Amino acid sequence: MPTIAVDAMGGDSAPDEIVKGVAQASLHTDIQCLLVGDESKLQRILDAIAYNPEHISIHHAPEVIDMAEEPKAAVRQKRRASILVGAQLVAEGHADALVTAGNTGAAVLACAQYFRLIRGVRKAALASVYPRQVEYPGQDQLALLLDVGATIRCDATELVQFALMGNAYARRVSKLPSPRVALLNMGAEESKGGDVLVQAHRQLKNLSGINFVGNIEGNDLAKGKADVIVCEGLLGNVVLKLLEGLAEVIVDLAGTARQENWRWKLGFMMLAGSLGKLRDLTDYAAYGGAPFLGFEHLLIKSHGRSSAPAIANAVKVAAKAVRDGVTREIAAAVGRL
Amino acid sequence: MMLRRAKAVLSPSPVVFFWDLDKTYLKSEFETLRELVRIPFEKPEEKVAVPGVVPLIRGLRNVASQAGRDVRIYFVSASPPQIAKAIKDKLALDGIEYDGIVFKDQLHHLVRGKFRNLREQVGYKLTELLKDRPARADAREVLFGDDWESDPLIYSLYADIVAGRVAPGDLDGILQTIGVDAALIAEATRLAAAITPAEAVSRIFINLERRTPPSAFQRFGPRLVPTFNYLQTAACLFQDGHLSLPAVATVAEALTAQSGYTPERLANSLADIERRGHLQPLNAIAVREYLGALGALPRRIRRWQSPWQRVRRWFAAQGTHPPADDVVINYHTLAADWRASR
Repeated sequence: MPTIAVDAMGGDSAPDEIVKGVAQASLHTDIQCLLVGDESKLQRILDAIAYNPEHISIHHAPEVIDMAEEPKAAVRQKRRASILVGAQLVAEGHADALVTAGNTGAAVLACAQYFRLIRGVRKAALASVYPRQVEYPGQDQLALLLDVGATIRCDATELVQFALMGNAYARRVSKLPSPRVALLNMGAEESKGGDVLVQAHRQLKNLSGINFVGNIEGNDLAKGKADVIVCEGLLGNVVLKLLEGLAEVIVDLAGTARQENWRWKLGFMMLAGSLGKLRDLTDYAAYGGAPFLGFEHLLIKSHGRSSAPAIANAVKVAAKAVRDGVTREIAAAVGRL
Repeated sequence: MMLRRAKAVLSPSPVVFFWDLDKTYLKSEFETLRELVRIPFEKPEEKVAVPGVVPLIRGLRNVASQAGRDVRIYFVSASPPQIAKAIKDKLALDGIEYDGIVFKDQLHHLVRGKFRNLREQVGYKLTELLKDRPARADAREVLFGDDWESDPLIYSLYADIVAGRVAPGDLDGILQTIGVDAALIAEATRLAAAITPAEAVSRIFINLERRTPPSAFQRFGPRLVPTFNYLQTAACLFQDGHLSLPAVATVAEALTAQSGYTPERLANSLADIERRGHLQPLNAIAVREYLGALGALPRRIRRWQSPWQRVRRWFAAQGTHPPADDVVINYHTLAADWRASR
């Protein structure tokens, strides 16, 4: 059974919700969790909840990098921060993967500092999952978008590598036998998007072992045309934030509209079931987190606002990725390039 | 919370170990009606002991015998005498030597129409524990129960009655609040009045079968140790001088061989009981080193502190805990809360 290191101090609701999430995982799975953080604080939280100590160990880390801290400076100054210690423990073989809901920049820097890139991989990519329409039976309700911010600009080979990483992750974790992989572009034609995207398109089209479906545009993101969407970090980050922002605006508008008059209120009541389903689908707690791919070890980055169930799911996702050999598959795919 | 090596180790006083049966010794499943109905018809070989409990009890007797100490093992069960044979046969199958076992005469309550007494355990167990106490006045006692019914309350109350901290008059009120049958209250107070006060109960172990949060037991003071498995219990019993390291190792071996425990699970269990303050670092180190040498623990144990740092840290933490003797349990509040939770 894999051991998953969990940054217990990272996240808006850390350490309480993180510890509770790990406790939930300890009761319902055989996954070994290594909590990294202030030992006495973590034990105090455990003492007050149901947990299985046989599946939990604690490694003391006295410092914390807050969500709002500037990552570079914090990583430089807080050498014993939980995220850094967690990454170090994984690198040293004490755990197989790392889960954090903390400062994304610090998590990326911690991985870059302690993890080695898979042989042949030029840049690591931070992925994110988001809900979208389903086009065919068995298709995952979540699409994988990468990179969403670990890089700024990439060349064609790096985009191709991102595609292979996303493909491996979707095959192993989402259990899609042949995930549809697409490049995010400003048009469906091969010639669109400039040299880098044209070159990446050409390379991906000629690559065997990957179901490359070509370019997709922004308006296709919410449809089920692709399971893995590849782009450079700057664009991916803008897309991700746009999706999150839109979701917040919709919820906000719905709340305002509900207060307007009794007919709208009635309408909302009738739609309550469907809205509940929509909420479940878009609930980040259900999918736990998204991977940082390209390193010899895996990081699952959970949402900063992660609750206990989200952390428990992130731990399960990390264990599944380790068990199913995601990094091995990435190494094999990149090795074939 | 501090555990001191019990004086029983040094003194020749007899040691008495009281065991609850269901969920403490036997892994009885009675969460559903079907499981409950099946229990009386179970054959001895179908009954399953809680992982690690058999080598632990054998170890308690062996270690005491080797040290020339008088040791007695009693079982107090809330099961009816009608299934006594199956239980006794199970204990024989497991090779457990015991000095006494009592069963709850449910039929007696049924015939007299005292239906509430069928489920009520406090009055029954308390009187059973108190009954022979005058005959073992010089004995040190260790009690084993679980987190399913009322063991923490019963055992703590018993320990404090024996220690003279609960007066018979107070006991009457406490048992009334709990809702104990009037006849049992009268018997319990009579038995309590006949006791010569002594700090007899050195430890109460509660098997966290339901995974009740450990903090739920803080109100019972440091004498009560909630444990998640019998390796944790064995390590604390080693600390108290009731088990040797080889005996602790047999418990670990049984957990590994019969219940699929991995070295990581064993190591995590030890770390947990140490973190919760029930196992002193020096004793934790001794157990870890012994089990490590036998290959029962992972080869690479994560250490963020040296053993010396752990000991220093532990001593520093002691200042924040009240001494064991200063913990006063408010049984009136406990009884009221217990009643409210029913």
